[in-house]
Amino acid sequence: MTENTNVFKRIGWSIYKYILTIISLFRTNIRDYGMFVALIVIFIVFGFMTNWIFMGPFNFTNLLNQTAYVAVLAVGMTLVIVTRQIDLSVGFLGAFLGAYVVVAVETGGQSVVAALLGALVITIVVGIIKGYFIAKIKVPSFVVTLAGMFVFKGFLFIKTGNRTISTTHPFFIKVGTGYLPKFEINGFDVVSLSIGILILVIVLITGMVNRKKHRKLNIPSEKMEIFITKLLIMTAIIGYMTYVFSANKGISYLLLITVAVVVIYHFMTTQTTLGRRIYAVGGNPEAAELSGINVELILIIVFISMGILSMFSGVMYASRLENTSPKHGPFWELYAIAAAFIGGTSASGGIGKVVNAVVGAIVIMSLKNGMALAGIDANIEPIILGGVLLLAVVFDIYTRNVNAVDLVGIHYAKKEYRDEFAASKINFAKAKAELKAALKENRDDLIDFEYKFTNAQGEFNKIKDKIRGSKEEDFVTQS
Amino acid sequence: MENDILLRMKSITKTFPGVKALDEVDISVKKGDIHFIVGENGAGKSTLMKVLSGIYPHGSYDGDIIFDGRIKHFHGIKDSVSDGIVIINQELALFPNLTVYENVFVGHEIHNSMSVMKWDDTKKEAKKYLDMVGLNVDLYSLVGLLGVGKQQLIEIAKALSQNVKLLILDEPTAALNEDDSENLLNLLVELKKKGITSIMISHKLKEVEAIADSITVLRDGRTVSAMTKAEINEQTIIKNMVGREIEDIFPKRPEYKGGPVVLETVHLNSFDTSLNRYIVSNSNIKVRKGEVVGIAGLMGAGRTELAHSIFGNPKKYKITGSTILFGKPVKLTSPRIAIENGIAYVSEDRKKDGLILEETISQNITVSALKKISRMGIINFFRQNKFAEKYVKDIDIRTPSILQQVKNLSGGNQQKVQVSKWLFAEPKILILDEPTRGIDVGAKYEIYTIINDLVAKGMSIIIISSELPEILGMCDRIYVIAEGVQTAEFDIKDATAEKIMHSATTALGV
Repeated sequence: MTENTNVFKRIGWSIYKYILTIISLFRTNIRDYGMFVALIVIFIVFGFMTNWIFMGPFNFTNLLNQTAYVAVLAVGMTLVIVTRQIDLSVGFLGAFLGAYVVVAVETGGQSVVAALLGALVITIVVGIIKGYFIAKIKVPSFVVTLAGMFVFKGFLFIKTGNRTISTTHPFFIKVGTGYLPKFEINGFDVVSLSIGILILVIVLITGMVNRKKHRKLNIPSEKMEIFITKLLIMTAIIGYMTYVFSANKGISYLLLITVAVVVIYHFMTTQTTLGRRIYAVGGNPEAAELSGINVELILIIVFISMGILSMFSGVMYASRLENTSPKHGPFWELYAIAAAFIGGTSASGGIGKVVNAVVGAIVIMSLKNGMALAGIDANIEPIILGGVLLLAVVFDIYTRNVNAVDLVGIHYAKKEYRDEFAASKINFAKAKAELKAALKENRDDLIDFEYKFTNAQGEFNKIKDKIRGSKEEDFVTQS
Repeated sequence: MENDILLRMKSITKTFPGVKALDEVDISVKKGDIHFIVGENGAGKSTLMKVLSGIYPHGSYDGDIIFDGRIKHFHGIKDSVSDGIVIINQELALFPNLTVYENVFVGHEIHNSMSVMKWDDTKKEAKKYLDMVGLNVDLYSLVGLLGVGKQQLIEIAKALSQNVKLLILDEPTAALNEDDSENLLNLLVELKKKGITSIMISHKLKEVEAIADSITVLRDGRTVSAMTKAEINEQTIIKNMVGREIEDIFPKRPEYKGGPVVLETVHLNSFDTSLNRYIVSNSNIKVRKGEVVGIAGLMGAGRTELAHSIFGNPKKYKITGSTILFGKPVKLTSPRIAIENGIAYVSEDRKKDGLILEETISQNITVSALKKISRMGIINFFRQNKFAEKYVKDIDIRTPSILQQVKNLSGGNQQKVQVSKWLFAEPKILILDEPTRGIDVGAKYEIYTIINDLVAKGMSIIIISSELPEILGMCDRIYVIAEGVQTAEFDIKDATAEKIMHSATTALGV
């Protein structure tokens, strides 16, 4: 009998410990995860309002395709904001380059490759000019890119001749509305499925290899529970995506391009010297200069990268609509900036992740798409979007100084310091009551009571802080 | 013989608009030596090191730098680093948003031919260099969350990872406690055994005596003397450094006769939520009427934070404990309320927190109490200028006009404007945070005279200062703070520089 209860107790404790670990992880990283939760809430709310059509295969694919051009811009904008700059010109620059490519192919008779190369040359020249004014002449980027916004708006109008130009070129049709070919077996798309499985396997293997390496180098790696949970959540997401893609038309080229951009930029920011230097420049420009980093060059590179991504964005947008028009461009840059901020990029520089900016872009587009689908007045959408943006940044500021919490450690610490804690709590309550009484009587030696009270309060706080800062490793040596 | 010399700087002259910061300075450092450069604030030590490290590029100064037997023209910090000269400044060049191992290799990352980071090697190498400087920290923790002592060691680890030949440290121990300082000095001796030459700038003569192989003394931008280990002698160094006697620096002041307590803190604790630690713990200070109370301690010991905690807590620390003003417990929840209760605080960084540089003297003086010069929100410019005239005359601010922009004044006069600004608010208690930082001796003397006049009129003054002579020359009573904890209280009669220094570098039981 006793053995049985012990087993139950042990199972109960490990479940409890697991939950505590996950909650600690969440609380410690709330800055990163808060947005995902917001996204899930948005999905559930709109799903509920639209009879789950919102999350269905057709609309979900559509949503991702709609998001693509903003997501690509948001990736570049994150780096711009990380280096403490801003770029307001990307909307019209992107629209202009989209127009340039379409017009070159449609009326200029150029090949697609030549048109794209031409646009690329333009972006690089533009990036260098912007970077030169910002980094070398030290004109605030707000002013330089505001000027750029007007200039490119003019170019866009000139290029399109103030009218909408449609395109039927197969390249644009394919990029804008094409999908990867499907091989269906029993109604399941093998392509989507195998890509999903491949990604999972890669994540699993790199995770395992990293853990092994860390153990070899004697560097601590994340707790096993957390690793498995992350893996499970990822499986669920990829599983859902695979279902969506195989039930609809498959994986669109727009999505493919976006994912490629995100993967490349994620790799660049986390794994390359350039990435490190960009974050260093944003975190502390003076220190970066003193560390031998060419700050001006880094800024110029960041603006060139932003330009190239605007080109991608512009071509993707024009392809999806199968036309180019003087109406393209406005508000793109503001959506990109909003996406970066919703994704937790810090306006004071040095902090921000490109992947999170993409999630920010999905949040924005979900709001637009979901509200339209739910039949809500389109005029309300920007009001909600504004509110969400403000809330996201407020949330970010509030969670900026969150310290690591380990609830398992706190659980042990509470046991360990139970007596001390209780004693100081009683002492504190007593001093408080005495002070109150003394205040009522308005005694002459009031200061003595004040003295006692603050002393007890200090002691009590010290114990509380000690418990709050405890970690699991302090109590259990990991086997 | 010449081969022993690693570095010679020959007749270096560097001029800034209006000031000759360096005037024909010569130094020479032998290979494998620990060389100290000593001198007062403003003697030109940091400028010299900036010339050496290429922060002031070749061409912006006169004279020659001969390093390793060659004349060098450094055009930027990159050039000097590639020759193995690494400077560690007082303001550490670290990235608070990056982790420890990332910081060690920022600017010279370990990467493959495609510029892709080799993170595993980076971590391994970082650990190697951190072990070399004897630092045991979590590789993953953000540098912004570590203490100054640890950050300093990370900087040195960073220098070592760049094949350093000559390590320059600009006042490395100014912000460190005794243990950390000793660690650092031992580390330098260790590094010397490995053949690394170092130049250290320091005020602390104890350190000089302990580990220096040779020193150069600078005063007012000139080389005054150079000594080798055998010749080092504290008295001579001080004489060379100061070049004047202490009696000339401080005005005579009468002995304090006692009075009622006006300000008292009882078990005052301030918790900084962003640093997650107590920056002031258990402070119990008393200030009497007409008294000058000194708060001594090293940089970063929590002196300014204590002043902030009293002055309405502008940085929003979590405060427990109480402040008692004129015998009554008060809650000063914002600087505005503190000002209304008769406390004024003259900040340490007058350019950042104190003065509005673009505005005129009269606007700056009257901004702290606009009510006095306005009616129904409309400013009476006649009254404003009348008050400004009065202070300019009383305090002797040297300016052609009260409508002069503050940015055009000298440091000493700016400081006087700042003091006038707070006098205009008619405080009963004036907190002066580093009142004489960066101003010359003559202006200091005038500020001290003003302080004496004010206490004679019954005002109470708290002086926060890193300069011990100032504390000893001006205060009636002295509190010493180390790592947020109040470690000692001295009456001026019992206080000596050694006692204060000892208390300032020993934190009690944390």
